[in-house]
Amino acid sequence: MAIKPETRLCAVTFFAKLHPGDVCGSNGLPLTPNSIAILGRAQRLKELQDEHLCQYLDVIRGKHERTIVVSEYVGCSLEEHVKRHPPLSLAQILRIFYQVACGINVLSQHHLVAHNLEPKNILIAPDGRLKLFNYGLYFMTKGGAYVPFPVGNIRYMAPERLLGLNGNVKSDVWALAMLVAELVLGLQLWPKLKISNVVRKVLAFARSNNVLEKIAREHQCFEVYQNMDAGLRQLLEKCLHASPGQRPLPRELLANKCFADILQAEQEQEKAKEDESKQQLESHLPPLPLLLRCPLSQIYHLWQLAGGDVQAELKKEGLIRSEAPILGLPQIVRLNGASVCPTRSQSHLMDDRVVPLKLQALLQRLSQLPACVYFPLLHSPRFTSQHQQFVLELQQLPLVIRERDIEYQFHRVRLFARLLQAYPYTAELLQREAAIDIPPLLRGAVWAALLEVVPNSGYGKIDKFTPTSTDRQIEVDIPRCHQYDELLSSPDGHRKLRRLLKAWVTAHPQYVYWQGLDSLTAPFLYLNFNNEELAFLSLFRFIPKYLHWFFLKDNSAIIKEYLSKFSQLTAFHEPLLAQHLSSISFIPELFAIPWFLTMFSHVFPLHKILHLWDKLMLGDSSYPLFIGIAILRQLRSTLLDSGFNECILLFSDLPDIVMETCVIESQKMYEATPKSITHRQHALRSQPPQSLDIGLTDVELKHLQLEQCPRISAKDVQHLLLHSPDDLALIDLRSVVDYGHVHVPHSINIPFATVQLGEQRLEALNVPHLEAQLRGRIVVCVSVIHQNAVEFSHFLVACGVQRTCILHKGFNVLHSIEPNILISN
Amino acid sequence: MATTPRSGGAGSGTAQRPNGTSQNKSCQFKLVLLGESAVGKSSLVLRFVKGQFHEYQESTIGAAFLTQTICIEDTVVKFEIWDTAGQERYHSLAPMYYRGAQAAIVVYDIQNQDSFQRAKTWVKELHKQASPNIVIALAGNKADLSNIRVVEFDEAKQYAEENGLLFMETSAKTGMNVNDIFLAIAKKLPKNDGANNQGGSIRPNGNETNRPTNNCCK
Repeated sequence: MAIKPETRLCAVTFFAKLHPGDVCGSNGLPLTPNSIAILGRAQRLKELQDEHLCQYLDVIRGKHERTIVVSEYVGCSLEEHVKRHPPLSLAQILRIFYQVACGINVLSQHHLVAHNLEPKNILIAPDGRLKLFNYGLYFMTKGGAYVPFPVGNIRYMAPERLLGLNGNVKSDVWALAMLVAELVLGLQLWPKLKISNVVRKVLAFARSNNVLEKIAREHQCFEVYQNMDAGLRQLLEKCLHASPGQRPLPRELLANKCFADILQAEQEQEKAKEDESKQQLESHLPPLPLLLRCPLSQIYHLWQLAGGDVQAELKKEGLIRSEAPILGLPQIVRLNGASVCPTRSQSHLMDDRVVPLKLQALLQRLSQLPACVYFPLLHSPRFTSQHQQFVLELQQLPLVIRERDIEYQFHRVRLFARLLQAYPYTAELLQREAAIDIPPLLRGAVWAALLEVVPNSGYGKIDKFTPTSTDRQIEVDIPRCHQYDELLSSPDGHRKLRRLLKAWVTAHPQYVYWQGLDSLTAPFLYLNFNNEELAFLSLFRFIPKYLHWFFLKDNSAIIKEYLSKFSQLTAFHEPLLAQHLSSISFIPELFAIPWFLTMFSHVFPLHKILHLWDKLMLGDSSYPLFIGIAILRQLRSTLLDSGFNECILLFSDLPDIVMETCVIESQKMYEATPKSITHRQHALRSQPPQSLDIGLTDVELKHLQLEQCPRISAKDVQHLLLHSPDDLALIDLRSVVDYGHVHVPHSINIPFATVQLGEQRLEALNVPHLEAQLRGRIVVCVSVIHQNAVEFSHFLVACGVQRTCILHKGFNVLHSIEPNILISN
Repeated sequence: MATTPRSGGAGSGTAQRPNGTSQNKSCQFKLVLLGESAVGKSSLVLRFVKGQFHEYQESTIGAAFLTQTICIEDTVVKFEIWDTAGQERYHSLAPMYYRGAQAAIVVYDIQNQDSFQRAKTWVKELHKQASPNIVIALAGNKADLSNIRVVEFDEAKQYAEENGLLFMETSAKTGMNVNDIFLAIAKKLPKNDGANNQGGSIRPNGNETNRPTNNCCK
């Protein structure tokens, strides 16, 4: 395998074990495919970042249980290195010994074992650093249970593993000692023996007092054994003790005096390296491409955006070969479901070749970018101007295109990564940038920042295990929650979702588990699969912000208020539609409960929820109501033509909603609606209402239900008058005399006593150009008699007048506004 | 099709069809599904209405609505089916759906004793609160897993007989008895005239009882 120096990524592939036939689990559901289980387990490995470990980046499922693992790759394997540079000096061998032990030590700190140490799985970078490679295979396959092949090379396998004792880090110590012994003795163990004989040899070691000596004798190099460095020999003999208990732990190994010199040399080298990089800066040598200094996860993400396709790379190398499906059909199917298939072709056998993923195209693609884009200077004035221009240009394009544009995503990822590093000091800037769009790679962390999550390690202390009365409900809901998704359907996904739900319920004694909480949690888990705490805290902040009190045991008052407000806002923005729906008794109770209780996470697939919530996170608790209206608006023509049954059928099986339109529409409405219009008693409030606001308990449920139009506060009217009088049309329903006495400038006087509301046409009011005066404005009905304003507002809705509302507390409240806004004739 | 179109404003349901002997009779019935969470209510409806089965059928929040039309002899019967949420907490919504229903299927899972007890509670509640003529069927679902059953067939059968319920063990997965249970209900529902329609409401909100709903016509 020719590995280019800039190679950083590679892929390996294998097949997961197939479940036999049509077998179901005890719950009647089909068994989870092993490849999905592997995918779920492997996520944890992505979090391991250590200089002695190759970072895991991705696990992909192909057809027929194929599993592809993408990970870091550097330099060449120890196997090749030994071939190229024989023989290795003692110092070199000790360095290898030490660094691999470091890797094993890190793994054991994470309660992991490699169990597949061999020269092939140890990489040597050009600078001499060693990294363990493919060390997660044993863990991700649940000790090999999910794959049809054994994990680990028999030659290096400790005797106890052959006897079936797995999971002990001391077995890795054995394997390490075996491969160091090979290096020291300058040989390959049993090059010509069959596997069964190798097994016999290894098992025979279990009865040997000195394994190392035995190996040396068997391979005719007893002399080398005798002349070996005494310290190293002792250490190896200890590591190769037949009983695992006698072998040192990795950290004990590292403390051995053999490595004292190595340690010192390493430190010196570290220093030298620093000096070198300084020199390099000064000498203007061509440095490492800037891209390669970015985190690997970013490089891999960009590689994919640049058209990188792991499966295609594997096909090119002949690791994935497609065959005519007909050749795989069973020849005989027995009645019990077992089938006799043609023998599997060669292409289904394990092939452990490593395929490098080429970065040239990506490097070339990004080579023109100036360094300032790699490291954006957030507070420099030059940054703002340059940056704005670029963003503005691309902002014109649809979101789906922006998300796939490599250069744009590169800018966004670098920018957001920087913003997140400086969070919470960058909260404002982050909010502003998130309003444009959120790069998918960093969405989980960005959402958490928008929700003002501050990790406090409290999650670990919450009881997630004690059985409770809601366990059964959670248990039956989890296997039905977004199961089309690979992560959420994996056993690890189920476990994590269960923990999150139980933790949330435990953390909120005032609340209970309502079906739907599972869907609500799913997006956070999906985005923070490896960071349960962040997922939990995001949910923890999200619920009070948007679903305050919704999870009370008796939430009917909250839901009723919410849905009534939804009806009012529908009348506000879509009067004709609202009128039609209410005339056919198509009330929100019948269709909108799952919408709002789960913030649409129960009605849309994950990829749509993500884009929807990107915007939701930026709005306040009223934003979801506008999403609901945007959905109605998108289905408007169908709904207007339909009766009750058709409408309810339409919503039982919600048709494809164009999310981008929905998001844009909801945002427009959100911005065009004065805050008091959305007033709800049960919303979480950050500050107490002031005198001109709508009071906390002013509007009761019965008002909401009786009044088709929402109320507006005097404060908002004042604000509109002062700042955007062209957006306001104030209809004064008092008598002409009262109006003459005192009124709001430019208001329209339509004395309520004189109008006939029987005919639902604006013209019937006999006010010249009334429609033109109201169009596009917020129409506020003002009266001293509240009921008059209510009736008149209903008339306006029936006439299809948009944005009709009623002044809360009537005309007289306007007297109390300071400075005075009223005039008299 | 002889069913009356339901579109249009309130109260448009009364049939205006001329009486003719060659014309098939046509009826609409409101049916509600009740039962513990995850016993397979939605799956039964999905099998009946679309002939499909999803292993990972999503949970129902609030309620879902579907319709299906079947023919019995010379009568076209249209079911308007309200599929309700199973979780106990959604109980307060249930009366909105079963009030005015002409038929109910109470579902339990034959692997789960609790779900059978819950079914009994539903039957009691229906007897007390629902319309007195309501036709109730008891469905022991997941019959494909009868090898790991907990609720015995005879036990459920006896209970059904004592309480005047239709009873079948069904499997939404294999389709076993799914159509049959709806057919059995349709057969038991009175179809000759509008006598059974009084007080019924297709719309689930119980306040709207003034609306004539069951639009049987000849």
